[in-house]
Amino acid sequence: MGWLLARYLGLTIALVVLNFALPRLLPGDPLDFESATGMNAAVSTLTAGARAQLRASYHLDLPLPGQFWAYLQDLSRGDLGWSISQAAPVRDLIGQRLPWTLSLMLTALIIAGVGGTLLGLVSAWRGGRLDHLIVSAASGLAAIPEFLVAIALVLGRSGGLGWFPLHGGRSAFVAAPGAAGGVIGGLGDIAWHLTLPALTLVLAITASFVLLTRGTVQSLLTAPYLATARAKGLAEPAVALRHAFPNALLPVLTLFGLRVGQVLGGAIVVERVFAVPGLGLLAFEAIRARDYPVLQAIFLLGSLGVLLVNLAVDLAYRWLEPRRGG
Amino acid sequence: MRITRRSLALAVLPLVTVAPAASLPRPAVLARQSTPATIDLVRLGWADVGVPTPFRVSTAGPGGPVLLTLLYDTLTWKDEEGIIPWLATAWTVSADGLDYTFDLAPGVQWHDGQPLTAEDVVFSFDYYVAHPYRWASTAAVASASVIAPDQLRVRLAEPYAPFLDEIAGGVPIIPRHVWAGVADPLTYDGPGASVGSGPYMLAEYQSADGAYQLIANPGYFRGPVLVDEFQQLNTPPETQIQAVQQGELDLAYTPDASVAGLFADDPRVRVFATAPQSIVRLAVNTELAPLDRQEVRQAIAYALNRAQIATVVTRGEPIVGDGVIPPESPWFNPDVPTYPFDPERARELLGGETYTIEMLAGPANREPELMAPMLEAVGITLVTERVDGPTRTQLLREGNFQLGLIQHIGTGGDPDFLRRWYAGEEANDYAQGSIFTDPEFEQLAREQATMLDQAERRATVDQMQVILAEELPTIVLYHRRFYWVYDSTRLAPMDTWGGLLNGVPFVHNKLIFLTR
Repeated sequence: MGWLLARYLGLTIALVVLNFALPRLLPGDPLDFESATGMNAAVSTLTAGARAQLRASYHLDLPLPGQFWAYLQDLSRGDLGWSISQAAPVRDLIGQRLPWTLSLMLTALIIAGVGGTLLGLVSAWRGGRLDHLIVSAASGLAAIPEFLVAIALVLGRSGGLGWFPLHGGRSAFVAAPGAAGGVIGGLGDIAWHLTLPALTLVLAITASFVLLTRGTVQSLLTAPYLATARAKGLAEPAVALRHAFPNALLPVLTLFGLRVGQVLGGAIVVERVFAVPGLGLLAFEAIRARDYPVLQAIFLLGSLGVLLVNLAVDLAYRWLEPRRGG
Repeated sequence: MRITRRSLALAVLPLVTVAPAASLPRPAVLARQSTPATIDLVRLGWADVGVPTPFRVSTAGPGGPVLLTLLYDTLTWKDEEGIIPWLATAWTVSADGLDYTFDLAPGVQWHDGQPLTAEDVVFSFDYYVAHPYRWASTAAVASASVIAPDQLRVRLAEPYAPFLDEIAGGVPIIPRHVWAGVADPLTYDGPGASVGSGPYMLAEYQSADGAYQLIANPGYFRGPVLVDEFQQLNTPPETQIQAVQQGELDLAYTPDASVAGLFADDPRVRVFATAPQSIVRLAVNTELAPLDRQEVRQAIAYALNRAQIATVVTRGEPIVGDGVIPPESPWFNPDVPTYPFDPERARELLGGETYTIEMLAGPANREPELMAPMLEAVGITLVTERVDGPTRTQLLREGNFQLGLIQHIGTGGDPDFLRRWYAGEEANDYAQGSIFTDPEFEQLAREQATMLDQAERRATVDQMQVILAEELPTIVLYHRRFYWVYDSTRLAPMDTWGGLLNGVPFVHNKLIFLTR
């Protein structure tokens, strides 16, 4: 156990250094603005003096070790810094954006994880034509990247099927729909906006759960303890759910941990295409603007999040599979 | 849920290569449709431009400063024809061009009800010394002083020709009672941070969504505001035009001329073409061989069939110019040397030599593929290095390039930008890579900046354009219009003289929201 925690601590330190270094390895400078709309202006008359003043106020004039030291000091106080491109505290930006990404990711992971696992179980258990159909569909979906799914959904929508809004995470400035609406109406509006982005992610990750569960369950089909269960007179669904499923769960759990990282990556693409104001879109904008403090913070949170999930999976594994002691 | 032909056409818009655009009537015909008396809402599709105060708004692109023009006022303003009085109803200039005396309009109030006086104007210029307004430099202003509550004087360090346009017309006047106590405006978003005197007041900024809600200022000094509410929404450029078509937005732009054909018979949605205030050009590093030789630069200009490049990329009538200042600009010189497509002449200039030249371009630029075979035909092998915006800017700033393909707006405004580019005084992305030393050009550039006589200044700027076209420190590929798709039942776009502020092809000048 101690060794496990030490390993995670070492990884955390490496992550902090990497997250500081990576944005700065990109060519370009945070003061070289790039407009998100592409309509760049040759009109801003930032003088050389004003530019130098701005650089100093963001500590960009310090040598790299000095910047790193300032970053560590801020970080130790829980201060994530000040966004250069958005002129706002990074903590606030992340606070506003995190709930969007979390709801998108969790919705997608839960639907894909539960749905995919059950589909895989059914597929392996029933076999035959149904198995064939599910495996073909899952293999096909697994081969399509998120952005293609997202663009297909956007195009389908613009082709006249105006069932879902074109962009954004909620309707802007819509007056609260009376006393009855309120919070429920607002949540409904958000759910309506997030349907397609979540569907994109679900389509992208369900397949791996289906295929993995199916493979694992299939390898168990001939296990002696299942024969025993059947011999006891248990019905097929009970054999599947109570005896086969728990034993297939371990690899699925690992996959769940691994997929958190993939979903976070997929969220960047999906949030960009659907203009959902989450961390992914913030990261996309920050990369374009070379906004080091924002990039550092998002990378740090993202990698720490993935690390934590992995730690949780490691611990859960020990609990589910006592033979794998530390 | 019928799939209409037009919506299908919109869906495949990015896939079509060359669709001849219906030639557009010029703005004068499309614009000035009669607008109904009061409209409840106009929604502009754009991006998040940050916290809407003069010190925190994003200057990455013109969206932020233009949004501020609705919240704040300036001493002067511009209509289709030129500079007009605004907060200042009249002004006089001293004979030496140093002192400007402004009379303020009576009865102007801040959004919080306090009166706007000469004290506020003087305070604004003083405050911008320590806390520069990033969109327009006030460096030319030496001092400002109150003469009377409704009169003030601005003294310049030396005469500055663009003063009335770029400074008096570009710098937002801010309330003293809000900012006098603010030591660090870069972090301030407390009470009054967005209080101006403009036709709109900030109701809400949803920062996560990048959405702005502005409501009409009931006490606006120029009379009633015709549109009750203005929203600026953060929408992906790819879906903006569809959003106008579906009624989710009322105004959005595209540089793609073929959009005009899509809405040709639409009773509600129309397309407004701005003057060509966006330029696509090659920055040339005149210090590196072989581009240090004028004849090589000219050979490139002759070798490129620029009309064809412009037609393919913009899908509209090509606007090829050999001068940086675009046609239809008040400062355009039609008599600059030209370089018609002439591969034979290009080969002559190269004298049988062959070259390999590297060019920086953006990831999505289509021009390099079109240029490469044209240059190959005269003996120049074009090697394109594709990089994103900030990378390109850094390489251009370091002089680490031969050719840089860039596109930007701002060429339709006051021509002093030509001086600032080559004097290294403009720090924005697209002035980078302006490498050119020519004593005659520098002399003329310095002189025009201080000239008070319009005719004399025009003649000087004309000469500067001739030198640039002869020497080609930048090779203009083409000029572009922007096509604003809009709901004609809600607004009537307008083209501003020399562009909004300094060369911005936005069509929602605050005048369209007012009775004129």
